[in-house]
Amino acid sequence: MKKDDIFLPKILTFLCNWCSYAGADLAGTSRLQYPASILPVRVMCSSRVDPLLILRAFLNGFDGVLVTGCHLGDCHYQEGNYYTRRRFVMLKKVFDSLGLESDRLRLSWVSAAEGQKYAKVATEFTQKIRELGENSSKNKIFL
Amino acid sequence: MANALKITKNTEESVREFLKILLEKRKVKGVFTLKKIGKNGAVTYSLITKSDELNDAVPFYPLMPTNAGKLLSRITRNGSTTEPVAVIVKPCELRAFIELVKREQGHFENLYIISSTCGGVYPLKTATDGTIEKNLSDYWDAVKKGEINQDLRPACTACTEFTPYGADITVDLIGNTELEKKCFLLLNTKKGEELVQDMKGELVDRDFDKEKLKKFYAKREKAKNQFFNENTKINGLDDLIKIFGRCIGCHGCSKVCPICYCTLCMFDSSNLEYKPSKYESEVRQRGGLKIPPGTIYYHLGRLTHVGISCVGCGSCEDVCPVNIPLTLIFKKVGESMQQIFEYIPGKNITEKIPLVTYNEEEYTEIEG
Amino acid sequence: MNKSAETSEKKGAVLPIKTSIQDSIKDLLKNGIDHCVFDAVMIPLRVPAGDSFSYVLIKNKSLLNDAFPLPPTMSVQGAKAVSSVTRLGNRNMKIAAVMRPCEIRATIELTKLDQTDLENIILISMDCPGTMPILDMVNEPEKTMTLFNDATKSWDDTQMRPVCQICDKSSMVAGDLHIGTLGTDKKSFFIIPNSTKGKDILEKLKLPLTDSIDSWNKKVKENSEKKLKKRQEVHSDLKNKIGDLTNLLDIFSQCINCHNCMRVCPICSCRLCYFDSNKVKHSSEEYLQRAKDKGSIRILPDTTLFHMGRMMHMSLSCVSCGSCEDACPMSIPVAQIFSMVADETQRLFDYVAGRCLEEPLPLRTYKEDELHEVEDVHG
Ligand code: SF4
Ligand code: SF4
Ligand code: SF4
Ligand code: SF4
Ligand code: FES
Repeated sequence: MKKDDIFLPKILTFLCNWCSYAGADLAGTSRLQYPASILPVRVMCSSRVDPLLILRAFLNGFDGVLVTGCHLGDCHYQEGNYYTRRRFVMLKKVFDSLGLESDRLRLSWVSAAEGQKYAKVATEFTQKIRELGENSSKNKIFL
Repeated sequence: MANALKITKNTEESVREFLKILLEKRKVKGVFTLKKIGKNGAVTYSLITKSDELNDAVPFYPLMPTNAGKLLSRITRNGSTTEPVAVIVKPCELRAFIELVKREQGHFENLYIISSTCGGVYPLKTATDGTIEKNLSDYWDAVKKGEINQDLRPACTACTEFTPYGADITVDLIGNTELEKKCFLLLNTKKGEELVQDMKGELVDRDFDKEKLKKFYAKREKAKNQFFNENTKINGLDDLIKIFGRCIGCHGCSKVCPICYCTLCMFDSSNLEYKPSKYESEVRQRGGLKIPPGTIYYHLGRLTHVGISCVGCGSCEDVCPVNIPLTLIFKKVGESMQQIFEYIPGKNITEKIPLVTYNEEEYTEIEG
Repeated sequence: MNKSAETSEKKGAVLPIKTSIQDSIKDLLKNGIDHCVFDAVMIPLRVPAGDSFSYVLIKNKSLLNDAFPLPPTMSVQGAKAVSSVTRLGNRNMKIAAVMRPCEIRATIELTKLDQTDLENIILISMDCPGTMPILDMVNEPEKTMTLFNDATKSWDDTQMRPVCQICDKSSMVAGDLHIGTLGTDKKSFFIIPNSTKGKDILEKLKLPLTDSIDSWNKKVKENSEKKLKKRQEVHSDLKNKIGDLTNLLDIFSQCINCHNCMRVCPICSCRLCYFDSNKVKHSSEEYLQRAKDKGSIRILPDTTLFHMGRMMHMSLSCVSCGSCEDACPMSIPVAQIFSMVADETQRLFDYVAGRCLEEPLPLRTYKEDELHEVEDVHG
């Protein structure tokens, strides 16, 4: 297979400003390899990521949505990521109950020091999405 | 200790009289209940202050013109009533009100809550085509026997929360074989006991017929499982598009939903308006686009907003001009969301809504 | 689009019908896209479940094959769809919008209310045999399709919604192009331009105007006179039936305040309706006081205020499209009442909603010497 034929998914990635964004930055400055599938969006805290944002990305045709934040206990707003987790579980449940592919959604805690982990999560998730294929919502008309 | 008031008369009659005396004795200054109005006897919720206006009250009429939880919130959202008011509502209406109180959209103080074990309500259209009046005697027969009525709102047929939580007084309806002759008001709280002091009737020791309720529960549970399974399995986006394809975007479902209390729904806001460039890119990407767009987003989005507190009252489905099976989706998905947090909406006023609280150690399996 | 054009006899082009009128219209639209007369078409498509129709903005020509220029039911009122696409402007996409006459008229009203941008929109209407209740399609799609098909041939309106049965404007030409199917030999149809935009398009598509559409003019006139007569009868019956406030209250007594009627009304375009705003939410004291004054009040109160208030707000622009009635879960004859009142309010100002873009909204203009009959004679 030619390199161009490999499906390059589009993954919307929310990065918490205080930890994960720095982690992603570190991955970059350390010249770690990870796929170009990631479209980063910086948010002040993972808890800023309203489930509606994830839903909208999904319906607009993003192949995957990755939400990242500080490790539990490290959130710069004390408890933001605990709420993020609850909302995320809830959203996944909505997806599962309706037979939507909840595997296209992922939550991950990445600290500022974890450039390695960031690159790993990005690579793994991209791989996972490749297995799932394109998000069919991309070309739906009656949304 | 006596925990019930027994009135030896037809139940609805007894309650009506009970309410009248409450007003006459000035124990309450108002009564909120269903009432027939106008020439054609339309049944609507009313706030009644004069006792003879209660002649047309039908407290247990099997119809829910609007979820009363929403109406009570309308009355009390800016503060509790300054004077005591007795309200007669159905269990899911009470649960909705409690969810609204948790969201600071209503106040409990000064309300005496009277509810009942509930046999369910009929779809709204039975009120407009008159079939409800014809069904009434069958309805009460079934309630007495502890059977599920035919042709109820699908939400009611599948409702297992027919016993109210947190009512001051519960009227024993389901399985009370002597409905026409005897009325039992079960007193659940101090407030309830206060209310029945010096009232007509006899204080007795009485509880629900637990066995009967259990049997009834089993029937409802079976119906619920059938309802959840039998209906088209919703599996994926294409199925959602099939179900919601005919939605005309009236947003009536959110307007009547007791949990949707926002003055301006986010899905009506300018936030969601597509800019010209957005239309262009969307149409280019997809070849065509439904106008107005965003139907699936609206419904799934609303699910994430209200699912956790959905009381399964069925109001949304009943108001939908194109008969979309909204109850199936909202009740089913709502309950699955509630199960994750072991939450029963409106059960306990002190319990926090799951999304505004957390435990440190939980759901670790989804992190990765 | 001007007022005088409405009354004068129309000219148009005559086109052959190949397989069916719907197909010929679609061919015309494809032709339009090919000749870059427009970039996209907004037209009803049957939804995937087949139980309704929905406007779709189409760029991909092949999608047009599934289009229904004239579907049996009306889901979203077309004016709302046009407004959704153009309210924030539309500079780059020339769109042909294919709709029923009442939808075009509502679009024109919305334009006067600054809720659309018509610069790049080409409004195409066609002779309308009426619309069936939206639930017919949901309940029995195939039967509804057949019934409607037959009705378009026989022009029999008995299956149509009540407001359609008394619609005297079902061939009103208010947009840029109108497709005439009345008074033809069944082997051809007419295409009638009503604006410079419309004329330009016919020129670009090399469709010459002829004088041979007299038969259409005649038939339309006949049809609308007949309907007008029926309209007046029905309205006067309704007026007698309502008669006084008590009867009006009775009609609305079953209203559950869902505001579906307002939400689907093309003219009601406020983002937050006054009657949903905090202005109409009162304190518990107020509700109790009102109850004490009367012994008993309905909760929610103010239902009639809502309906009459809505009338004040939009009746001059009501196009009698029937959407409100279609959406009412309590089967209240909202559209019949609103259209009756609208006819009367519009008559006051010699105004017909959506007749022509240049005609100002009656409440946005005035004459110094008018309406003296309402003034206090002693004043
Ligand atoms: S009530 Fe029905 S038609 Fe209206 S928005 Fe809800 S689902 Fe759609
Ligand atoms: S859907 Fe959400 S934003 Fe809209 S009214 Fe309901 S809770 Fe509010
Ligand atoms: S009031 Fe009813 S009939 Fe008149 S324009 Fe609005 S939706 Fe159409
Ligand atoms: S749609 Fe019908 S029930 Fe709803 S507010 Fe309008 S008239 Fe009342
Ligand atoms: S600040 Fe990083 S998750 Fe809250």
